[in-house]
Amino acid sequence: MKKYLYIYKSEIMSSLQYIFNILLNMVGYTVLVFIFFNLWDYIYEDASQLINGYTKNQMIWYIIVTEMLWQASGARKLCRKICEDVRGGNIAYNINKPYSYIGYVISSHLGEMTIKALITIIVGIIFGMIFLNELPQISLIGIIIVLISAFLSILINTILVTAIGLLSFTIEDASPIYWLYSKVILILGTMFPMEFFPKIIQTIVRFSPIYAISYGPARLFVNFDIKNAVVILITQMIYVGIALGISNILYKKGVKKLNVNGG
Amino acid sequence: MTIIKVENLNKTFKVKQKEKGLKGSIKSIIKPKLNEIKAVKDINFSVDEGEMIAFIGPNGAGKSTTIKMLTGILYPDSGSIEVLGINPTKQRKKLSYEIGTVFGQKEQLWMHLTVYDNLKFFGAIYDISERETEERIKELSKLFDLQEFINTPVRNLSLGQRIRCEIVAALIHRPKVLFLDEPTIGLDPVVKENIRKLIKRMNNEYHTTVFLTSHDVSDIEKLCKRVIIINNGQIVLDDSMTNLKYHYLDKKVIEVKLKKKVDFNSVDGIKVLKSKENNLKIEIDTKKTDLTTVLRLIDPENIIDINISNTPLEEIISQIYRKE
Repeated sequence: MKKYLYIYKSEIMSSLQYIFNILLNMVGYTVLVFIFFNLWDYIYEDASQLINGYTKNQMIWYIIVTEMLWQASGARKLCRKICEDVRGGNIAYNINKPYSYIGYVISSHLGEMTIKALITIIVGIIFGMIFLNELPQISLIGIIIVLISAFLSILINTILVTAIGLLSFTIEDASPIYWLYSKVILILGTMFPMEFFPKIIQTIVRFSPIYAISYGPARLFVNFDIKNAVVILITQMIYVGIALGISNILYKKGVKKLNVNGG
Repeated sequence: MTIIKVENLNKTFKVKQKEKGLKGSIKSIIKPKLNEIKAVKDINFSVDEGEMIAFIGPNGAGKSTTIKMLTGILYPDSGSIEVLGINPTKQRKKLSYEIGTVFGQKEQLWMHLTVYDNLKFFGAIYDISERETEERIKELSKLFDLQEFINTPVRNLSLGQRIRCEIVAALIHRPKVLFLDEPTIGLDPVVKENIRKLIKRMNNEYHTTVFLTSHDVSDIEKLCKRVIIINNGQIVLDDSMTNLKYHYLDKKVIEVKLKKKVDFNSVDGIKVLKSKENNLKIEIDTKKTDLTTVLRLIDPENIIDINISNTPLEEIISQIYRKE
């Protein structure tokens, strides 16, 4: 475990070298949240109106949190990196080191994303406070639980995207699968809470990783409830286990097929 | 003591084939055609502790595939490999603590971190204590002259400095075997010479077994006492450097500047390599004709300048590659 913490720490040190790029990325995040702010502001007639159980402020905070989680996951970058590692043979230079490749990828990616996640949280909160003037009603313990849930959400997303990237061992290019994955999460998780969809879709979302990645932590933030928190945290931990299992199977099967060009 | 033992090693790659044009592209999706390429064919060799061995061959000969199987990166189809008594395929992680690798064409260091932070990182991933890592950094940075740039980010180093750091990073956990894959590629002659000296010094100090691949004949000549040549996946020569030079020294090259031109074309065992006005470069096959006979053909009064040399090692190796 110590070595993975060192990989994580080294990646944080490394990412501090391009902090300006991270700050530039925040422009995209702010613009997106601003568009949704105006959209919901237009749809809601007044602040007390409820649509599918959500007030206008809750709805906007939901978007701020889900988009924050997606940005802080850096999923597209991770998938592209693994696909290139597998196709280009770079994975070979990580295989002969005394660590697990999956452990390396996860700790290194989380390290790379830490600064970005912190900046996104700050920008998101500032945005919410400027445009909505208030935080959702949540205690300090609630905030700590939401932060744990947010971390688990990013972790699950990272491991699942690692698994998608590892599909490159078999299908050469896993980016179309990633594209599909990201769009499903965007529509069914990031943009709208599951209560906005028909019953059948709600059931699908409830039993899919979208619940653990997007809906769960965002719902907790906008409408904290300890019972719900327990369910969400347990679900997330189960998903961490499942995702790790899938990644390990794909890696073990794939690495036997590795075909690295010679020199 | 034998450190590396390879017996009847085989590796085949399946390479996708595609007919030309759009029709070929569609056909390859419906019915993909795979070609089998035998990269390594039934090779056997062993390496002793402390040896510096050159493992060379032309591009696509199978040398990198062999190194990757020795280091546990690729799985062999058949045959057995033992590195320090460890099977690289089954105990890859255990082996990684005992070996070091340097790939001249691929950086293993973190570009944004300083040399010192990189070495600390490698110490941590090899489970070396903080105190011991510090001691190793001190010792190795002295041996490889890193002090001057130890606090510089790797991205700001010259290629020669970076390769020195790559070697040190590969040595931080005191590996018993060091695999060097073209460590001097792209370096200028002075830096190359410097790197060679450092590798030699490291071999003397730590008695590390070195398994080297390089296309630079000087690397091989100056560092290794034994050479294994692989071509088309098979070992075509496994001999000492001295024997290699001795057995293939049946050719001499004479470069001569004459007052009047002499015709050597009709003489058996002499091949004219270059002829420009009265300057000649000829190759003599000493199995067919001896040097004295050739020199007798030239009147000493006619010679302005003469130089007799052995066939360069590079040429000898090329001849072996071409199976001449």
